[in-house]
Amino acid sequence: MAAIATPGQRRVDRLERIWEERPGVLGWLMTTDHKRIGLLYLFTSLAFFAAGGVEALLMRTQLIGPNGTTLSPHAYNEMLTMHGVTMIFLFVIPISTGAFGNYLIPLMIGARDMAFPRANALSFWLFLGSGLFMYTGLALGQAPDAGWFDYVPLASRAYSPDKGIDFYTLGLIFNGISSTVASANFIVTIFKLRAPGMSINRMPLFCFAFLAVSFALIFALPFLTCDLVLLELDRRLGMHFFDPSHGGNVLLWQHLFWIFGHPEVYIIILPAFGIATSIIPTFTRRRMVAFPLVALAEILVAFIGFGVWAHHMFAVGLSTTTAIYFAAASMIVVIPSGIQLFAWIMTILTGTPIFKTPLLWIIGFIVMFLIGGLSGVTLAAIPFDQQVTDTYYVVAHFHYVIFGAAVFPILGGLFYWFPKVTGRMYHEKWGQTSFWTTFLGSTLTFFPMHILGLIGMPRRDYTYPAHMGWTGYNFLETIGSYILAAGLVMVVANLLVSLVRGRVVDNDPFGGGTLEWATTSPPPEYNFAVIPKVTSPYPMWDLDDREEDGRKLEQGVLVLEQGHETPGSTVLDGDWDEILQMPSDSPYPILLGIATAAMFAMLLLAHYVVAGIFLAIGALVLVGWHGTEPQES
Amino acid sequence: MLLAGCGGGQDSLQPHSTQSNQIRWLWWGMLIVAGIVFFGAVGMLALAWLRKGDKGLPALGPREGLTNGLVVVFGIVVPVVVLVALFIVANLVVIKTTQAPAKGSTQMSIDVTGKQWFWVVSYDGTPAVTANEIHIPVRTRVRINVRSGDVIHSFWVPELNRKIDTINGQTNSELLYASRPGRYRGQCAEFCGLQHAHMGMVVVAEPMARFRAWLANMAKPAPAPAGGAAAQGQRLFMANQCASCHQIRGTQAQGQIGPDLTHLASRSTLAALTIANTPRELAAWIANPQAIKPGNKMPDLGLSRSQIAAIVSYLEGLK
Amino acid sequence: MSAISRSMEATSARAAGMVARNRIALPNGVWAMLMLICTESMLFGGLIGSYFYLSSQNAHWPPPGIEAPSVPLPLAITCVLLLSAIPMFLAGKAARQGRPGLTGAFVLSAFLVQAGYLTVQIVLFRHDYLKFTPVDGGSYGSIYFTMLAADHAHVLIGLFLDVWLMARIAMGGLTNYRVIATRAISWYWYFVVLVTLLVTLTQLSPSL
Repeated sequence: MAAIATPGQRRVDRLERIWEERPGVLGWLMTTDHKRIGLLYLFTSLAFFAAGGVEALLMRTQLIGPNGTTLSPHAYNEMLTMHGVTMIFLFVIPISTGAFGNYLIPLMIGARDMAFPRANALSFWLFLGSGLFMYTGLALGQAPDAGWFDYVPLASRAYSPDKGIDFYTLGLIFNGISSTVASANFIVTIFKLRAPGMSINRMPLFCFAFLAVSFALIFALPFLTCDLVLLELDRRLGMHFFDPSHGGNVLLWQHLFWIFGHPEVYIIILPAFGIATSIIPTFTRRRMVAFPLVALAEILVAFIGFGVWAHHMFAVGLSTTTAIYFAAASMIVVIPSGIQLFAWIMTILTGTPIFKTPLLWIIGFIVMFLIGGLSGVTLAAIPFDQQVTDTYYVVAHFHYVIFGAAVFPILGGLFYWFPKVTGRMYHEKWGQTSFWTTFLGSTLTFFPMHILGLIGMPRRDYTYPAHMGWTGYNFLETIGSYILAAGLVMVVANLLVSLVRGRVVDNDPFGGGTLEWATTSPPPEYNFAVIPKVTSPYPMWDLDDREEDGRKLEQGVLVLEQGHETPGSTVLDGDWDEILQMPSDSPYPILLGIATAAMFAMLLLAHYVVAGIFLAIGALVLVGWHGTEPQES
Repeated sequence: MLLAGCGGGQDSLQPHSTQSNQIRWLWWGMLIVAGIVFFGAVGMLALAWLRKGDKGLPALGPREGLTNGLVVVFGIVVPVVVLVALFIVANLVVIKTTQAPAKGSTQMSIDVTGKQWFWVVSYDGTPAVTANEIHIPVRTRVRINVRSGDVIHSFWVPELNRKIDTINGQTNSELLYASRPGRYRGQCAEFCGLQHAHMGMVVVAEPMARFRAWLANMAKPAPAPAGGAAAQGQRLFMANQCASCHQIRGTQAQGQIGPDLTHLASRSTLAALTIANTPRELAAWIANPQAIKPGNKMPDLGLSRSQIAAIVSYLEGLK
Repeated sequence: MSAISRSMEATSARAAGMVARNRIALPNGVWAMLMLICTESMLFGGLIGSYFYLSSQNAHWPPPGIEAPSVPLPLAITCVLLLSAIPMFLAGKAARQGRPGLTGAFVLSAFLVQAGYLTVQIVLFRHDYLKFTPVDGGSYGSIYFTMLAADHAHVLIGLFLDVWLMARIAMGGLTNYRVIATRAISWYWYFVVLVTLLVTLTQLSPSL
């Protein structure tokens, strides 16, 4: 063997040795590999997706007919709250940023890891901790029951004296830390770790979307945190932020909540846009139409999202002038969304579309996003909004947006990158069947909700009287939700079976354009033996460059084989600036995660001194973390 | 059937006022435009589907300039035109009709307070207080002032007008105007806790003369109990906890926690439209209020059947 | 090719200074700090926004019985704290030049000012607290103390960072890691002094 090994092969062997991961469970607990962390995120968020799905099915079963008795009113309200919190904070955001972003962004930009691998692990452990924290509340029968929007005074101590709201409040602060750490990491990774040559205009649209999402999270989450802290101070210490009898104001909660809450909507769907802009070019065999315009639109959507929050509050009695301003600002969001929508359609129309499973999900996504977007526009008509807000019309609208426009691409992405992650192909026919089942199920579930809202059914009702004309639609929706669940089970079953029995595929079975397809399936720990050359936004379609990579491996150019190394580049031009040494596996992230979880548990139990001790332990862990510089390890 | 009959409809597409009617036309207009956009876009996708496997549309070909131009036209130009039109119609014109009336611009005003989980209704300038059933004169502009008695609720009678939240620490108002006599159902629209689903109300629009007669009756204190059973019911009502939560004007029952019962018998429903106001259902309610509306503030008082029957006969006399 | 440095191998002050001067872009650690600053700024944006929202919703601000804050002392010490940004800036500069002693001295001088500032603020905080509390001062008391406490907590964290940095430099000189840490921590202080100024102006706004 040794005799015939080329210099390139020897280099690959050396990289294998340098980047080898610790085996066994300990390896996973201490890992800093973005791909492993991505998978941890994936499995965890899918588990929460299942929990949120069961909650939804229970609610739908309760509503299958009038005066249902499946759930008690209290249980229904808990399901209602946990479903919202789970799907948003424990499923969509973690799976899109945590799983897809983590796994793919370093691969797409030709890096060997995230900019801060240990912080990356930390954000996962914090996310897991926050999810378990909130579900502990449910297990103890103390789940929050004031809705995911948690309006005061209903959420105040006077009307929600038990610990449910505290689980929500502290859990979301906890979760917010995780998202903040992850977002900062994405931004620095995308800015600084791109392969030399990948100037900002050659960056995949996927990365633009994640850049926009990360900035939106960085700027939006603190408003939620601020709001939650104020609420806890009211609840715990008897302060008066939201108490009108002592100069407080209940609308302050709503303002702060929606300053976060609306950008949150774009945080939910932008990663999906990123997935769509990855799948469409591959399956239509052409570059995205209007590439710079789409990149700009992705950033703009996130930016404009900050100026529209009060359109969630048209019924609270805002002055007409205020309402009109927010309606106008909200309408502006249509433009960047419209640009992206028609860019996708034009790309499909002018390319050579091959309707395989991933593209089918994206077509479904476009159709659902159209409906959800158009119903969103109708909600910018203030009088109409004031008529249908807090009815099932709004439930229909945001499920079209969140389920249709965010979850569909996520599912499409699962199929699309499945061969990359596993080295095997999913089952095409079952993939298509699962798409059609899910599409049918979600249409049956969510479309009649528009009508229900228009004919007067308010949302968040645990039951409804007979003879209101609502029964038939509710029945349809419940049946639809079962079909939808069946479709999702098919997706999971397909992928699980294919994991073992799928056809083994090569590196690039779909002919994708971005760099994740340049490496083996599954990718090695070090991602790329040679940091790839990039001269366009679709580097995989520049065959000369790929051949040059092969030559470079033999010559030892850009192999970086002295340690856990990856190049650092300049922000805009992507010029090679330095060689960064990445940390290898580390116990500190999980230790800090545990200390943080313990601190939040103690805060919940009002043992403030013990909570302080855990905070101090966390600080000590950080000292240890920053004590291991290369020369000290 | 009975409840639907008592409550009236709650269908925003069946308006019975100028306000609701304009919102409905706004909706149909938006639906038509949205339909054109939707089918246009889906048509493009269908075209791609029909030509699957083929190289792009010959008319467009690989011309980047043309496709970029189309993205600009469909993604920017068309939306701007449509949105400007929508903005003017909805947010500058229709909003004038549906917005809160200025103080003093209406012939009468009614104060409505949302509480977990019923509505307190009182008529300005009269002692009349009732619950959940709001009578208004037909073809008359009425200003509704809404307040919160505990958490945020939302006052909403879709066949008459859009909704308005009850916000702690502020008074919001909205216009009610019924074009024809009838019963229009409404419901709390902002999540307000356990029994949010059972917080209905009904607006009864009737000719001015009938309305005046109704209001005059409402303003009076409760009639004295007629007959022995009713008199015994009144004693039981005052002796048990009933009086500490409910008000019956003209008696020593002055509680403010539950709804005013001064003219309970003139109302057609109980527990904010949860059940019909019949002696049987009233008795069932008093016997076990938590079974009918779990979580409401009325306790099971442990009264005997005969005691309940007496109280029912007293309450059913409160016309 | 030879111009590209393996940054982490710069474990001597001289090498670390060289790496810092050769690098074109801001180092990753400084970028991460900038992100932290963005998110923390928004947190204070929320608090200051809440302050003004609540004040706009109340006819009397501060409520009757609570006197408006006195201006001179808080403003004066805030100006002193602002000045501590200068030694922090110089510390970052000295670190980039690979001069550990000078770096440590600048951090120490900033630390002394900052610690003095926090001491005075804690005394003032207690002084206010004896007059009214977050609970009996209505929404004014709630936001007043919460906003100040959040700001003081940020100063306190900055002091811990100073101590950690000085200890690291004292124990092992400058490395690439510590040069970046010095720069990141000086950025943290620019943010803290600026936010302290905004918080102080907000706190004093009823008297201005």
